[in-house]
Formats: sequence, structure tokens, C-alpha cells
Amino acid sequence: MSFSSLPDPSGKRWRRIFLVLGAAVLVYALVAPLTSLDAAQSAGLPLLADKLWFRIATIIAMFVVMASAWNIIGGLTGYAAFGNVAFFGIGAYTCGMLVARAHWPLLLALPVAPVVAAVFAALIGVPLLRLRGHYFAVASLGVSVAVGEVIQNLEVGSKPIFGGASGLFLPILRFDYRDLLFFYLMVAAGALTVGVTWWVLRSRFGYGLIAIRENEEAASVMGVNTTAYKVAAFALSAALTGLAGGIFAQWNVFINQENVFPIEYNIQMILMALVGGAGTLFGPVAGAITLQLLIQFLSGSLPISADLPFVPPDARPVVAQVILGLLLVVTVIFVPRGVIDFFGGQSRLSLAFLWRSLRETSV
Amino acid sequence: MGNFAQLVILGLLAGGVYVAVGVGFGLVWGVLNIVNLSHGALVIVGAYITWQLFTAFHLDPFLTLPVDALILFALGYAIQRGVINRVIRAPLLFTFLLTFGINLIVINVLLLLFKSDFRSVTPSYSGSGIELGPVVVSYTRLAALAVAILLAAGLAFVLNRTRTGLAIQAVGADRDAAQLVGIDLRHTYALTFAIGAACAGVAGGLISLIQAVTPTAGEPYTLQAFVVVILGGLGRVSATVLGGLLFGLIEVFAQSIPGSGSVYANAIAFGLLVLVLVVRPQGLIGRLR
Repeated sequence: MSFSSLPDPSGKRWRRIFLVLGAAVLVYALVAPLTSLDAAQSAGLPLLADKLWFRIATIIAMFVVMASAWNIIGGLTGYAAFGNVAFFGIGAYTCGMLVARAHWPLLLALPVAPVVAAVFAALIGVPLLRLRGHYFAVASLGVSVAVGEVIQNLEVGSKPIFGGASGLFLPILRFDYRDLLFFYLMVAAGALTVGVTWWVLRSRFGYGLIAIRENEEAASVMGVNTTAYKVAAFALSAALTGLAGGIFAQWNVFINQENVFPIEYNIQMILMALVGGAGTLFGPVAGAITLQLLIQFLSGSLPISADLPFVPPDARPVVAQVILGLLLVVTVIFVPRGVIDFFGGQSRLSLAFLWRSLRETSV
Repeated sequence: MGNFAQLVILGLLAGGVYVAVGVGFGLVWGVLNIVNLSHGALVIVGAYITWQLFTAFHLDPFLTLPVDALILFALGYAIQRGVINRVIRAPLLFTFLLTFGINLIVINVLLLLFKSDFRSVTPSYSGSGIELGPVVVSYTRLAALAVAILLAAGLAFVLNRTRTGLAIQAVGADRDAAQLVGIDLRHTYALTFAIGAACAGVAGGLISLIQAVTPTAGEPYTLQAFVVVILGGLGRVSATVLGGLLFGLIEVFAQSIPGSGSVYANAIAFGLLVLVLVVRPQGLIGRLR
């Protein structure tokens, strides 16, 4: 790699600006919901978080969990998992079944979701993680498609077990501040995921995973039990993703194959981790927030989303997708090491940098 | 027993489409080491070209296939030369994401151009067929199978008997050595992707005869192309033909299982895929690379 390792004053400035900006966004996101409390309203505070705000913020937090969780298997261990949405769906259905059918209270059902997702990941991980590269990616993608189909169609005596094609309805939680609760739950899950990643990055376990990513044979020779490490990383990633799924189930009240096993989530979480910087602690978080805001902005859900010029309103969602695709292509071509490099002080945002990263990967 | 023969015939006919979709995908994967997530979208571009020529000029759909191939060849060359060549040395995930981005663009441009209405190509002979024992086989399906086999044979000929084909194989085997003996890497890469796209175009033309086409109709084909190529094995056209026909057979037999066999078609296909990957990663007759 030809990236300069000399301290770069300009890079440091970017890093500082980025940290301050990130902290400000975080404080705002954590405090704004409180203004929706009755006490705050009767005290005459402005309402900073309405229904739409909660919706978008909770979705962003959900993607922070998914992108950071993917980072453990994809970014740290270097296994291109393309089917993590399976764990999201399994978590959602675990929580959904326990709450809707077994009438468990949410807080009791929620911890079960990651456990089931992790056990499933460990079971399929043993055979799947013997595969590498494209083969692992394709196999994990296949598993996620198959799991969604099986859950939708599994039936006993022609009675669907999991609600079938019409999906599964959960009882609506009787609580005045539902939006507030689910937002903070999802943020807590995000904090947990970042915390777990932080711990992994500093542990013997994490060093083992990075060794596997860099050279699996060498790691094995050095005494890393590669199979156990890989399966553990996969299960950990699955558990956190399953937790997000469990929260989503009760938040959304209705789950079916389409909304908890969407294939495009697989791509989105990877993209977020990569854009932010795979293998880093905050990269996936930054990537998830930026990209999800962009997606919401382009599709016109944000209050500041203006009309796009020359685009009739009915064609807007389609044009938004085209723009997203173009951005994806441009990002991948010019910034293979992730936008975070700009802010991490490792490189300066300059034409020379773009040119260099382009030359490094092309023929 | 008649039922069994019927299923075999239906399976082979269904397999024809998978062969057509699989050969281009397998070529690009084998030589460029790119899993082209936009393959299904390119297939559908071919389907729309056939539909457009059929509705506007009343051309016979089978005569439009060379047009599909030519247009997709040019498009594929441009995509590889202009875009994918720039990240060919980047880690695997980047080419995944790049081709996904291309997929997104192609599908949504198609949506802008053609809306999401169902389009079908129905020449006068589309309803008729011949009786083969207990089954009536439609002419279009039979011809589609024949075209798919011809396409695979043509591709195998180009790859094994022409200088260009040998250059493509050389690049696939060892990029740096190929460059040392004077092969133009950029051009050969672009050519490989262009040929893969041209195959996708032909497959799309065939598909427009068999099913109604929408801009998003190609997504399942990308996944199925994966399965077909892995089933047969990477690195050989004949392996993809075997994989495609086998996949058609498996699909038809899975759907015939009494009860809810048809709703598990994907689960069975991918279950099988995972099994093949774990037990025999090089595929049935592929070369391990």
C-alpha cells in the first residue's frame, strides 16, 4: 500500500472535525426524543422528534447494528458473508413467535432472539465456513433465501407454523412512549454492538480473527483454532443481527418474509461497512448513518428532501435508485479503502489520492 | 412411468434457459473472477430488445437474437473497459458491490423506459407444439433449448479453437504471465465480459418467449446462474451445460413433490447448492482453481 504514514496536519484536522461532528450528531439524536415527553411539551420545549423522526432514526440505528455486526465476520475475519439478513429474520421470528403465540413479555422474549440466531449461525457455520471467497458468499446468500422461504411455508397439517404468507402479527405494546422506547432499544443494541466490537478488537480473540483475515494458513500454524474462531465470530455477528431483528418485530408489529428477509439488506449492510471502513470500530457506524440518510433523502422521506430537477414526482423513487447506483459505482471505483480514510488522518482528500487509489486496483 | 418421462422432458426444457443464462455468467466468473450481480439485469435488457423489435417491427423473436447479442456485446465491452477494469485488482467484495451498483442502474433505467408493466412476446406459433409421448412440447421451448445448446457449443468453440479464446483462457489462468507474452489485458478483459453479456442477451431473448418480462424479472436468474455454475463446476462450458440441465431437472422434480414442493423450490435449489459446495466444491466436472 502506498498510503503515506507520515503525520498529516490536514488529515488530523479532518479527523477532529469529524469527531466533533459525530459527537454532536450523537448528542442530538439522544436528546431530541426527550422533547416528545409530555413533561417537556408542557414545559414549552420545541418538539424536535415527531413520528417521522423516530421512524427514520430507529431505522438508522437498526442499520448501525447490522453493519457493525457484519463487520465482525466480514471486516475483521474477512469472510464475505452475504446472508446476514437470515439472522435478522430469525431474530424477528423468534421474538415474534414468543410474544404473539407464547404470550411472553417483550423483555423476556428479546434476549432469546440473539441466542436462537447464534445457535443457527454456529450450526450452519461449521460446514459453510470451510468455504472461502465467492463460494462462502454465495452459500451464505443461498442460506438466507432458503431460510426465508422455509419460515414462510413451513406448516403442520396444512396450518402454517409461522403465520405463512400472510405474516405474523404481534400484539401492540400498550405504552404511551412506544416510539421513544423502540428508538432507545435500537440505540442500545447499536451501542452494545459497538461495545462488543471494541472488546473484540482488543482481545486475543480479535487478534486471532485478524490473523485469519490476513492469512488463514499462517494463523492456523501459529496455533489459532481457525474453525472455532470463525464459527464464534459468525455466531457473534448473528446474535447481534438477531437482536436487531427481535426489536424490529415488536416495533413494526407485523413481520413477513418480505420485511425481515429482504435480500437488499445483505447488500446495504456490507456497503455501509465498506464505505465507512470495514474492520474499524466506528467505520460501519458512520457508513450506516451516512448511507441511510442518503437513501432516505433520495427517496424523499426527509423533510429537507427537495424535488429533484427535471424529475416528475412519480418517477422519483426510480431516479433515486439510479442515483444510488451511480454513487455506489463511483464510490467503489475511487475509494476502495473507505471514506473513513479521509477522516482517519491517513490520507488527504485530494485529486492525487483519488488517482492513486484508482491506479492501485485497475489493470 | 409416463409421469417420470414427462418430468424429465419438462426438466430438460426448463434447463435450456438455465444453460443460456449460466454460460455467460460462468465465463465471466471463471476468467475475470467476478461474480457478476448484474447478469440477470443484462438478461432482461436482451428480453426488452427482443420485445421492442417484435412489437415495433414484427420481427420473428428468434431472428432478434443476434441483435440482442450485438447490443449486449457493445454494452458489456463498455461496462468492463470503462468501469470494472478499474477495480479488478481490489478485494472481492468491491467487485460484488460494483456489479450490484450496475445492476441497480440497469434495472431502474429499464423501469424508467418501460415502466413495470408485464411484457410478453407471443409469435403466431407460440401456442403450438409437438407431441412427445405423453407430453406436448411447445415449439418455442424446444427451440429455446436448441439455441441454448448451440450458444454453449459456439462459446466452447470460440474459447478452445480461436486465438482470442485462447487469450481469454490464458488471462483466466494467469494474468501476469498472459501479459508477459503480449496479451492486451484491458482489451481481453473487456472482450470476456462482452461475450458474457452477449450470452446474457441471447438468454434474455429466449426468456421473453417463455415468461412475461418486467425490469426486475432478472434477479432470480442471477441467483440461479450461481447455482448452475457451481453445480456443474467452474472453468468449463460443458460443465455449465450439465449444471443447467441438472438444475432444470431438479427444479421440475422438486415442484412435482406432492404437498408443498413447489413453494420450496428455492430452498431445495440452495440446499443442494450448499451441499455441493461443501462436499464437492469444484462442482460435478469442474476444474478446481
